[in-house]
Amino acid sequence: MTAPINPSAIAAAADRAARMIPPLWPLASSVAVNPFLGQAHESLATAAARLSRVAGAAVTMPRAWYREKIRTGAITDQDLLDAWTRCGEARKPADVAALRADDAEPPPPRALPVVADLAAGASGIDWPGLIADRLGFWAAAWFDEGQALWSTHRAKSAYAAWRAVATHDLTPEIAGLAGFARHVADAPETAADAIARASATLGLTEAALETYFHRVLMTWGGWAQYARYHLWRAEAEGGTDPVVTDLLAIRLLWEEALFHQYHPRIADLWAGTLAAHAAPVEPTRDQVIDTILQDAAERAAQRALAATLAGAPSRIGPERPELQAAFCIDVRSEVFRRALESLDPGIRTLGFAGFFGMGTAHRPFASDIAERRLPVLLNPALGSRAGGEGDAAARVRARAKRAWGRFRAAAVSSFAFVEATGPIHAARLVCDAIGVHAGAADPEPAPRFEPEPDLPTRVGMAETVLRAMSLTTGFARLVLLAGHGATVVNNPHASALRCGACGGYSGEVNARLLSGLLNDPAVRGGLAARGIVIPADTLFVAALHDTTTDRVTLFDRDHASAAHRPDLDRARRWLARAGGLARAERALRLPRAGRGASIARRARDWAEIRPEWGLAGCDAFIAAPRSRTAGKRLAGRAFLHEYDWRRDEGFGVLELILTAPVVVASWISLQYYGSTVAPDVFGGGDKLLHNVTGGIGVVEGNGGLLRAGLPRQSVHDGERFVHDPLRLSVCIEAPREAITGVLRRHPSVRALFDQGWLHLFALDDAGQMAWRYQGGLAWEALTEARLPVAA
Amino acid sequence: MPPHLSPLMAPVPPLLAAMAGFLVPGVRPKAPPLLAEAAALLSLALAIALALTMPPPMDAVSATMLLLVSFIGWVVVRFARTYLDGEPRRGVFIGWLCLTLAAVMLLVTAGDVIQLTGAWIVTSLFLHRLLLFYPGRVAARRAARKKFVTARIGDAALVGAALLLIATYGTVRIAPMLHAARSGAGGGLAIAAAGLLAIAAMLKSAQFPTHGWLTEVMETPTPVSALLHAGVINAGGFLLIRFADVMLLAPGVLAVLVIVGGFTALFGGLVMLTQPAVKTALAWSTVAQMGFMIFECGLALFPLALLHVVAHSLYKAHAFLSAGGAVEKVAAIHRPGPVAVPGVGAVGRAFLAALAIYALVGLGFGLTHKTPQAIALGAILIFGVAYMLAQGFADAAPVALTRRTAVYAVATSAGYFALQAAATALTSPTLPPAPSPGPLEWALIVLALFSFGLVAIAQAMFPLWAWHPAAAGLRVHLSNGLYANALMDRLLGGWSVRDAS
Repeated sequence: MTAPINPSAIAAAADRAARMIPPLWPLASSVAVNPFLGQAHESLATAAARLSRVAGAAVTMPRAWYREKIRTGAITDQDLLDAWTRCGEARKPADVAALRADDAEPPPPRALPVVADLAAGASGIDWPGLIADRLGFWAAAWFDEGQALWSTHRAKSAYAAWRAVATHDLTPEIAGLAGFARHVADAPETAADAIARASATLGLTEAALETYFHRVLMTWGGWAQYARYHLWRAEAEGGTDPVVTDLLAIRLLWEEALFHQYHPRIADLWAGTLAAHAAPVEPTRDQVIDTILQDAAERAAQRALAATLAGAPSRIGPERPELQAAFCIDVRSEVFRRALESLDPGIRTLGFAGFFGMGTAHRPFASDIAERRLPVLLNPALGSRAGGEGDAAARVRARAKRAWGRFRAAAVSSFAFVEATGPIHAARLVCDAIGVHAGAADPEPAPRFEPEPDLPTRVGMAETVLRAMSLTTGFARLVLLAGHGATVVNNPHASALRCGACGGYSGEVNARLLSGLLNDPAVRGGLAARGIVIPADTLFVAALHDTTTDRVTLFDRDHASAAHRPDLDRARRWLARAGGLARAERALRLPRAGRGASIARRARDWAEIRPEWGLAGCDAFIAAPRSRTAGKRLAGRAFLHEYDWRRDEGFGVLELILTAPVVVASWISLQYYGSTVAPDVFGGGDKLLHNVTGGIGVVEGNGGLLRAGLPRQSVHDGERFVHDPLRLSVCIEAPREAITGVLRRHPSVRALFDQGWLHLFALDDAGQMAWRYQGGLAWEALTEARLPVAA
Repeated sequence: MPPHLSPLMAPVPPLLAAMAGFLVPGVRPKAPPLLAEAAALLSLALAIALALTMPPPMDAVSATMLLLVSFIGWVVVRFARTYLDGEPRRGVFIGWLCLTLAAVMLLVTAGDVIQLTGAWIVTSLFLHRLLLFYPGRVAARRAARKKFVTARIGDAALVGAALLLIATYGTVRIAPMLHAARSGAGGGLAIAAAGLLAIAAMLKSAQFPTHGWLTEVMETPTPVSALLHAGVINAGGFLLIRFADVMLLAPGVLAVLVIVGGFTALFGGLVMLTQPAVKTALAWSTVAQMGFMIFECGLALFPLALLHVVAHSLYKAHAFLSAGGAVEKVAAIHRPGPVAVPGVGAVGRAFLAALAIYALVGLGFGLTHKTPQAIALGAILIFGVAYMLAQGFADAAPVALTRRTAVYAVATSAGYFALQAAATALTSPTLPPAPSPGPLEWALIVLALFSFGLVAIAQAMFPLWAWHPAAAGLRVHLSNGLYANALMDRLLGGWSVRDAS
């Protein structure tokens, strides 16, 4: 046995392993998360080596996928050469010819075994499967948010709570793990001591700790990610939460027990495994080739993007637009904005993060629960609530409904419930089967800040938002602020279709708060003093873009204005026509959508698992004036952020864009990427089997491991992927020095570009992709040869 | 109506649709999903026509069951039509789904024991294929294997029962058998047949300790769960109701049904409380509800058992198909603020008020003419209503909430008694009334009232004890279903790697 390791080294390795795990938000308010968040400081090739070791996950597509793109000419020889040249890995092929020659499918990655795997080999008992079942059994109850009436006691730490359960649970011993409950009862009192003891028992060396701990945490599947979310939230509020390392300790107790039971038979294999964990994390030649091919595929897409941007500029509209409409940068709004602008040259749209710089902890009507309607990278600075009459009566109705729900679910009363009300469900079955639903509920009363910030603060908020939107002059008579949401039914992943910038909620609350702010005469007075003059006849109206049905609801009653009646009527007509155009375009991609007429019905269909494609296909982020992209068919694949660097003194807005919306877009892009290339590890599984657990997530089938990421049906239409797994190309119209300056000040953002998790381009004064960021704060000019010949 | 309408026609459309499903491969076959729904609708229309005309051997029981099965069948097939879009083996799924549906229709309309036994067995075999729709899933294979073993023992029991019935009554037709049994004919062979029928029913309807497979068969697309929990699982209860007259010849067997069913009902109901995953909780709820139905059969309340089958199927089909809404439902729980916890006094008042409602509403529906078994069953259900009242009687509950829950409680009671009266009227004289209880039956009634009452009181006072440290171990054992499943896994090698690889 080796000498004991310093406990602080063990604790540090456990903490590093915990931070390798990406967080998973609960489904009630889920947002996309970069599954490679813990690997952002290293390259894709190194991440491939690491994730192969700890999870058996591939981080690129099968070779055949690239081969097909090379065969069809989508990936050119120049792309391959450029990608090969850019690759800085030690084990890269000698030249492009060698790269092309090596097109045999490499063996699928295999994770290093844990003790449970070796024990299964020695005993013929499926220990990994049984452990996954037991871990899921406990974790589902521990993290339950209210599905079970009889939940577990929450007061203690996760480790202590698990021990209390595991000392009673007879299942492991029935399955053949002798004395497991005793083993748990005799385990150290704290998770840290348990980890240290297990490390000694298993003979871990210091070098082996990190990837072994990471490997062990990966056997928790999404539960470890949900625990990591608890840590994330605790740290965002200035605290900490030991739950991830608690999970590590729990799983190590299993490893220890199995090690004791099977030790002599697995000793040799285990020694080999430890040696492999102690080896440095380095990509194989195959992994390097895969990442070069991936880069080449992205270069091919970038050429197509450059060609689209090189198209003829759109016509110039009138000086003062007839209608302005701000939408979320979400790629789904690109289709709608293009459709809307096509109707009249006087319509102008712009893109901004859909929380419109508000982002409150919002308490809805008749609710005690504050919803964090803002990007998860931020903490709410303000509160808001939906006011209005009848709050108390609505609560009584909700509480009576809740009492009814408990009556339905409780032990003896459920029999009375079934015998008295079962036949009513025949009517409910018919209604749901044919999609007849009660009319949409009235919108909530207008939200208001609570407490109301003072006037200088409100003016400051308004100024910040307008400058960040590059909207300081040329206001139309009617300015729509359109948040977005998605109408779906019976869909556990509904929040994934809503606004990520609003924390997985729909965007109307923030849009209504901002319109209230900007219509306030006092605020306008303050803005004028700061150089932003909003004409007296300009009205801001909040709107909600339903991305499933492409219908837009206006909240014009928040600010009744008889003078704007004709403007509003005309806007409604335009929005309705734009919706029809957008639906027709989307229907081409959506199975069984015909020409788009059936889309609204699908949104209310309880059996529909593909109501819309969400952000599938996203591959570009463009921060530039709308005139650079207007009229260009970006096919609902680009995040569009309004940005005019000429109005950005000190490049504060540029810094904001690179550190907030770009990072959020990278999380979205890489979530789609991870769910496509590694569906078993980072994908949400099969919707047909989903079983909602604890109100927070889904498992497949009976139970077991929580599934994070996007379900198969959200990236695949049954015949082909609808998302090309490509890392996002960020295009910014701004001086390169300014961009470089921001990267220099933000090392974590710079790492995303330097390690290739995002591509970065600078647009020239004509809005053309002119410069490519090479990493290391250096740029290269895109030469004519690399630009596509316009087809 | 054409005079040659026959119950055998109902399963024909899904049989044809099944053929289309198997013959047209591909990810998005055009015709089969459409044909399947059309076939299901046609079967529903045929079921309505059959229920209106009642050609032999249709009777109230088979008509009710056929209507139920074809209705649920239509809903499930229609759901699957959209839900499985883009699934590579969709045609095969439609094929087995329609075959299962046809088999259940054959089962519930059987006029002779040969058809009944054959349909019983093939239903299970077709369902087995649906449970293994994802053959690569280890958990699916583990559950399906448990189900397979359980079902084959049940098949053997049913075949034995059928042979005994044929030997006893000298006919394969069910109607003459029942007629003879009602007049008391049968003797020891009939009692043995009743015993075997009870075994087959308990195995089919997942009674303790053979319930394990039912709580693990969510390893297949949701429509299968809906069909299983709303259509197939009822076969056990249907069997007992179908042979009600034979069952009445064997009071000892009925006593066993009361005990096993009653225990399973309470056990399943308590386990359900601990389940954090929505479909798993629904499966445990089915275990409990099937227990309650078997319990009703044991009390010889066959019309009420049939009502339970229908009511539960409709509820459970909807619950499974709408299980995707669980995220929103759980989120809604916390919004209106904390739950008002009823104290001991509030629980006591709630039970008294519930009994008063029972007396008042019951008298309106002729309580005094009912059998002691029916009165006892009504009391058990009123214990449940008391739970609703207790939530409104909690000291912290606002008056408006108290009023609302009281209205719910009265409406629930009235609804129950109305349905009970309707079920009894509709099935008379097809189903025999409960005989007057002897000492054994009285003992069972008292036992049942006591145990259901105890659990109901415990339930109403739940927040006062459930998180007490002393209850922590009980919670663990109950949430594991008292390990019946773990033992069966061990017995059948459920966790062996050989099976897993």
